[in-house]
Amino acid sequence: MQIFRILIWLFSGSLLLSSCKKEIDPDRFEVNPVELYSSIGEKTKVKSREQYVSILYTNLFQQALSGNRLIEMIDCLESIGDKELGREVLISNFMNKPGVLLPSDSLMRANPEAFVSDTYERFFVREPSQAEISWFKNFIESNPQLTPELVYFAFALSNEYLYY
Amino acid sequence: MGMDRRKFIKAAGMAGAGAFAIPYILPSGRLFAASGRQFAPHVVYVLFAGGVRQQESVLQRYLSDSQGLPWEGNIMYNLFNGQAPSNKIVYGTDQGNGAAGGTPIPQILSQTLQSQGTLFREVSSQSNGHFGGLNNLLQGSEVTTQGLKQKPLNPTIFEYLRRHGGYAATDMWFVGNGIANSIPLLNYSNHPEYGAKYGANFFAPSVTFGSLGFEHLSDAKVYHPENELDPIYRMKYFLDQSFSSIGNAGDSLGNTEEEKMRIKAFMKQTYERVAQNLIPQPPVTDSLDALTIGYACEVIREFKPALTVVNLNDVDGCHTDFTGYLRSLHRADHAVGHLWNYIQTQIPEMAANTILIASPECGRNLNHNPIKDSNDWYAYDHSDDNSSRVFTIMAGPNVPANLVMGSETNSIGLTSDNVLTIADILGIKQEVQSAGLVQSGSMSLFDRI
Repeated sequence: MQIFRILIWLFSGSLLLSSCKKEIDPDRFEVNPVELYSSIGEKTKVKSREQYVSILYTNLFQQALSGNRLIEMIDCLESIGDKELGREVLISNFMNKPGVLLPSDSLMRANPEAFVSDTYERFFVREPSQAEISWFKNFIESNPQLTPELVYFAFALSNEYLYY
Repeated sequence: MGMDRRKFIKAAGMAGAGAFAIPYILPSGRLFAASGRQFAPHVVYVLFAGGVRQQESVLQRYLSDSQGLPWEGNIMYNLFNGQAPSNKIVYGTDQGNGAAGGTPIPQILSQTLQSQGTLFREVSSQSNGHFGGLNNLLQGSEVTTQGLKQKPLNPTIFEYLRRHGGYAATDMWFVGNGIANSIPLLNYSNHPEYGAKYGANFFAPSVTFGSLGFEHLSDAKVYHPENELDPIYRMKYFLDQSFSSIGNAGDSLGNTEEEKMRIKAFMKQTYERVAQNLIPQPPVTDSLDALTIGYACEVIREFKPALTVVNLNDVDGCHTDFTGYLRSLHRADHAVGHLWNYIQTQIPEMAANTILIASPECGRNLNHNPIKDSNDWYAYDHSDDNSSRVFTIMAGPNVPANLVMGSETNSIGLTSDNVLTIADILGIKQEVQSAGLVQSGSMSLFDRI
């Protein structure tokens, strides 16, 4: 029950945070307002594989994953010994699917700070520190071939994304 | 006689395999100097095959010691010497004479593994259950507090080899016949001094390369290693650094970026080879075990691992279907024959320098349960003393040929010996013994000969 509640909370949180900063009427959309983590140290629990996959899917496709497909994907992850590699393969499959929602390259480059903040909020449910914004801004500006897809990939693969 | 043979084997091992390795630096920074000889640089270890009664395997009693019928014979003629049954054949394929299972699968090996190597006819398994037995085969110890859905508590042979032998992650492979029964948990332990970073790569090919894998894994985007993967990893490392004081995934096997790329490329290639029907399956592929062996051949061909462990499990259908058990036993033998033949004929780098070891994780009961199959034959579970009786067979360079150790009334060896035997073959027996975590009384099988 607790896990289910957390899932709902994270799912609704990711929808809320990825919605272009519009005012959302919680009653109309039946989503709960969620507070961002105030510090990285608040994340002390490891997501279950089910939580990881369903939240990842929601973050990338902005829609919920069906129960059956979730179980199938968990089985696939189970069948690979190196779980980090398994997550990498799963993410790269998602990136190849129609329907994955990614910001445009021009949007990222037009305002890197906003892009970085949005990405931290979307994946980590927290604001980035100034140092984190600076590092990513510099990384984006010094890598002309970098795309939002690659940034999303790195966030989805990070250790912090495994925690809540 | 025993002493002479032992001296001979040790001398042969020293001479045959280059004797002592040159010291080198392990990834941990520790200087590694192989403490002993290597008998061979590659081991293929078959966990055979889901609970096997001695009576129908090494004792070759077919139906006489299970169903009260007078027919005896050897249905595992790639592993063991002995004539096949001449009557009431049910274990083969359905083609040919029209009777279900009436056509035995032709023998693959021109010489049985028994004649090529050493057979320990009567070995004690420390567990009469699957997970306990498998843990014992991989940890070399029995931990009474081991849970069924829990990682091994003591280090596995994979971890010993990677930590003390300096092997890379892709030198260790575990190929399972599925993801049920906690099989995916067995590629590394929770032991604080070992663990994931010394674990083995694992695939359950029926899932990874089956319909689910095709649906959810086969469409992986291939990223350019320098232009795309490199920045991904650099960003990930930055993010991980920020989080390092909180935690990490803890489930990475320590595959290097190059190893990961190689595994991903292997997966991509395998999906293509599956689609083109190019997986080197055994001639008869009507069992999950046979399919698993085909993919194990594929892994071995690509990575040429120092240790490959293959888990077979179809035989466990014996709980409800004795006829199916005989068929599975026959197919598991067929699959192992194919595996050995494939290594010898298709992988020149491993052909003459691989040792194969096969042991059941447990036996099965002396007395049947009440369930009858379509032939009116009784089924067998595994819980009594007969379930602790198994065999071990090994073949390859420096393994004495055509040698049989022990008998039905003279048990020689433990299933926990296999960990020390593999450590012995690959030159780290001393280190494993020094860790002090293997079952008391366990020995390398080479020391029992």
